[in-house]
Amino acid sequence: MAKILCVPLDPVHDVGIKIINAELAKHGHQTLLLQPDLPMETIVKRAAEGEYDFIMVSRTLGYGVAELLARFTDLLDAAGIRERSKVVIGGKPVTPELAAELGYDKGFGAQSTIDEVIAYVEGRELPKEAAGYTRTRRDIAGKYSYKFFDKEIESLLDSICDKLLAWADGKTSPGVERMKLRDAMLRETNPATFADLRARYNALCDRTITDANEHKILPKGVRVVSAGEREALATFLGTSTPYQPVRIQHNDAQPVVFKFLGSGCPVMDITHGKICERWGINGFLIINPSWEARYEGLIEGCLTHENDGTITSLENIRLMRESLDESTLLTVRAHRGLNTPETVLLAGEAGANLSKIDLVYGSLGAGTDPERISVDGIEAMRLCARYGMAFDIPGNDELSGVPSWKTLAGLLINVMLGKKLGAKAILKPLFCYGPHIVLNGQMKQNFVDYNTAKIYALRHIVDCPIWPGEPIAFMTQSEERIQSANTTSYHAALAATLGVDAITIASTDEAYSRGPICITSRIDTIRAVTDAFRFMGDAQIAPSAMAGVYTDEILTKIREVLREVEAKPTLHDAIYAGLLGSEEDGAYPGKFGSGTVTHLKE
Amino acid sequence: MSTAMNRVMDAIDIETYIICATAAEGKTLALELGREMNLGDVDIMFEEFDGYGMRVRLRKYIYKPGARYEWLAAHVKA
Repeated sequence: MAKILCVPLDPVHDVGIKIINAELAKHGHQTLLLQPDLPMETIVKRAAEGEYDFIMVSRTLGYGVAELLARFTDLLDAAGIRERSKVVIGGKPVTPELAAELGYDKGFGAQSTIDEVIAYVEGRELPKEAAGYTRTRRDIAGKYSYKFFDKEIESLLDSICDKLLAWADGKTSPGVERMKLRDAMLRETNPATFADLRARYNALCDRTITDANEHKILPKGVRVVSAGEREALATFLGTSTPYQPVRIQHNDAQPVVFKFLGSGCPVMDITHGKICERWGINGFLIINPSWEARYEGLIEGCLTHENDGTITSLENIRLMRESLDESTLLTVRAHRGLNTPETVLLAGEAGANLSKIDLVYGSLGAGTDPERISVDGIEAMRLCARYGMAFDIPGNDELSGVPSWKTLAGLLINVMLGKKLGAKAILKPLFCYGPHIVLNGQMKQNFVDYNTAKIYALRHIVDCPIWPGEPIAFMTQSEERIQSANTTSYHAALAATLGVDAITIASTDEAYSRGPICITSRIDTIRAVTDAFRFMGDAQIAPSAMAGVYTDEILTKIREVLREVEAKPTLHDAIYAGLLGSEEDGAYPGKFGSGTVTHLKE
Repeated sequence: MSTAMNRVMDAIDIETYIICATAAEGKTLALELGREMNLGDVDIMFEEFDGYGMRVRLRKYIYKPGARYEWLAAHVKA
């Protein structure tokens, strides 16, 4: 049992030291709590009267306070008290360095926990897992049954997906064949067989890719991350001592929080990622460059470039996976382009936790040819099943002007297809101020009702995880830092109140399009969302009656869209017909990979 | 040589309020401010003129992704 004098060396603020005092007493220590605003000499006199093991001082820092705190330790020294008592300072801005500088034996700041204080008093080493918050990985899809509640919608989706699978049966594409060859190459040990596989892989690639992989002629601006750079990164990460991780969520029901990584450079991504982990981010989405998606084939190696999007080579994904904390979820984007199956294969091999596939949005708005993405997407979902990776379905076609019900119908088709192929899907409705919503005035009164209605509608249809994105608050953010952080936090609060599983948040420079995201802007929104979650706790935002009206409208229109899609021979016929997003809406089928779907040879 | 500037991870943002008569003058002064601070050409991320002056957010990238970062070079083993 220790004898402790608790001193609020502050004219007003003494709540922190009151809590410490109460906790120490609960743990059986003998404590005396002084009143606030006593003259320093009186405090020293009281300290001298008792045989205290610890003198715990609490003080809010401000102008001139450092000098005051230093003077206090000088007075204790002069009275001979420091020979028998350890002097401890606590306060929000206190750091170990500041405490030492001011002459204190120990300092506890905003990130410290009561357990740490008690362990210090009791001379115990606090086990790492007990020192505050321990990061754990949440299984987003694990608790869901994927049972459809709306039987008409289930029946329509069933038919749409069965027809799609029947059409795709016996068909292949260069993307699927390359994936199979890559799969074999990853396991092949015989050099001659490997060379044969490599030659067959190259034959299915665009020249830019074979130039890079065979002749080391990299695309303009791309360079190899040297072994020295990778070693320096490992040393930097290994020798840094991050503070205890912050927890964004105030309770376990609040959603996990993702950010994008796709600066173009895996080293920058990883360094940003590690800092964001410390601030509580639970997962990242690796965003690849748009040019990568347009080529047949993927470049190999640990590569960097000054361009938007990080190259999703096996080496890059693996380096990111190995550098990030085990608890951090990693998603690899594969929903666009000509390499969907191979990207999912590499993600699975590198240990990623999730992938991103969407047969509808993957083709709309300058995306991939609908037939090609159908064949590739089905194979990618099979791979997700093989690696036990869930896949998220981005509903970003809404940003092109597609009405929400068409987008949501598209997401649901992917959910059913995944279910038939053994892969778990995650619905990703947009939490945004989308063009169609703007034109129709559904957010004229507030941003709450329509976003809420999308979640209500999906919950009415199927028991499936929901992860609003992407990022939340899209189209409501500006380049102004506070506004951007605020609007992100409001949408996060709404997401929390709706009990969704995850959210993706932007940074406060997301709306700034002339340069890459920087770390301070990332932390801005993390802090804002942490505060929003703390503010909301287990309370609820109450939508207006219009949320119900919008929910009914969305449900009715999803059924109408799915009936029309079901009436077409295949999904891609429906996409070509604009049923899931028309040219009038602002979406049109992509052309990349057009004419490349072939029949498998007998 | 290691400098404080080399330790900036990616970018420097400056947020301030510039007294000016017009938005155009505010923009000119914002760019001049970057040069006076020895940052060279800065980008105006955000500007908001309110009649008295202009609230601005300026950015200067020290390292863009793909560069060779001096803050990492310090960790290269000899």
